[in-house]
Amino acid sequence: MMKLSELKQGERGTVVDIKGSSEMKRKLLNMGIVKGAEIKMVRNAPLKDPIEFEIRGYHISLRKNEAENIIVEVRK
Amino acid sequence: MRKVVALAGNPNVGKSVIFNALTGARQKVGNWPGVTVEKKEGICKYKDIEFYIVDLPGIYGFTANSIDEKIARDYILHEKPDVVVNIVDASNIERNLYLTMQLIEMEANVVVALNKMDLAKLKGYKIDVRKLSKELGLSVIPMIAVKNEGIEELKVAIYYATKHRVKPFLRYNDGVERIISAVQEKVIEHNILSNYPPRFVAIKLLEGDEEILKMANFNEEVIKQWIS
Repeated sequence: MMKLSELKQGERGTVVDIKGSSEMKRKLLNMGIVKGAEIKMVRNAPLKDPIEFEIRGYHISLRKNEAENIIVEVRK
Repeated sequence: MRKVVALAGNPNVGKSVIFNALTGARQKVGNWPGVTVEKKEGICKYKDIEFYIVDLPGIYGFTANSIDEKIARDYILHEKPDVVVNIVDASNIERNLYLTMQLIEMEANVVVALNKMDLAKLKGYKIDVRKLSKELGLSVIPMIAVKNEGIEELKVAIYYATKHRVKPFLRYNDGVERIISAVQEKVIEHNILSNYPPRFVAIKLLEGDEEILKMANFNEEVIKQWIS
């Protein structure tokens, strides 16, 4: 298990936990980022912030500190 | 006869295209009271009814965290529009249907405009519109708004919805339903936020929705006691 922010380009993971404030969790829930969701790291912006991910067929950019709150299990 | 129709949906689903197609030149742009969020209103006539159409801000959910979400939520809960047209991006259907689910929980009179059917097809999605409509318990109109496809069908669906209010119901698994019922009973018993649907209030209290908790003057501990 690792932080979502630690996924390498092209790696996929399954969300296992979301930390942080309830406000943040709800915001992520609205975007479809919930436990069990499949997520793929697409690419980094310069300085690795923000990071682009693909989830449920669409792309989303998360700030590094947001991605650090999401725990994933890497899929082999 | 005049009926109020609100347009709701995620950002970038083609809400403005549909708003323009429905209202044509008969629209005005202003602000929501007290905030610098644009409010677009327009008129669309169909048969004996004049639809007064309000474009709500594009949102992902109704958590009232951002001003956009609060505007949309307050409008639907307080102004109680006759029909809410939920514009869903068919090429992003999974994320979009979350808002649909919340609209159903708010007991809005929903019509789903399933837009961007061409993009969904390009992505390889095969959407069984009839089955989706049956499962949701409301009208689903497939559209390609930029090509003006489905606009007339949408008008018919809105017209029909003003005459026959649908009451879709979203059932969770038995364990969740037991807890919702327990809280709903308390909501009714204590007359909590009685101008809102009791099931909606119960679900929001269980979610720990700060705005609803504050309005009801409750803290999460009380809710925990109810369900223990």
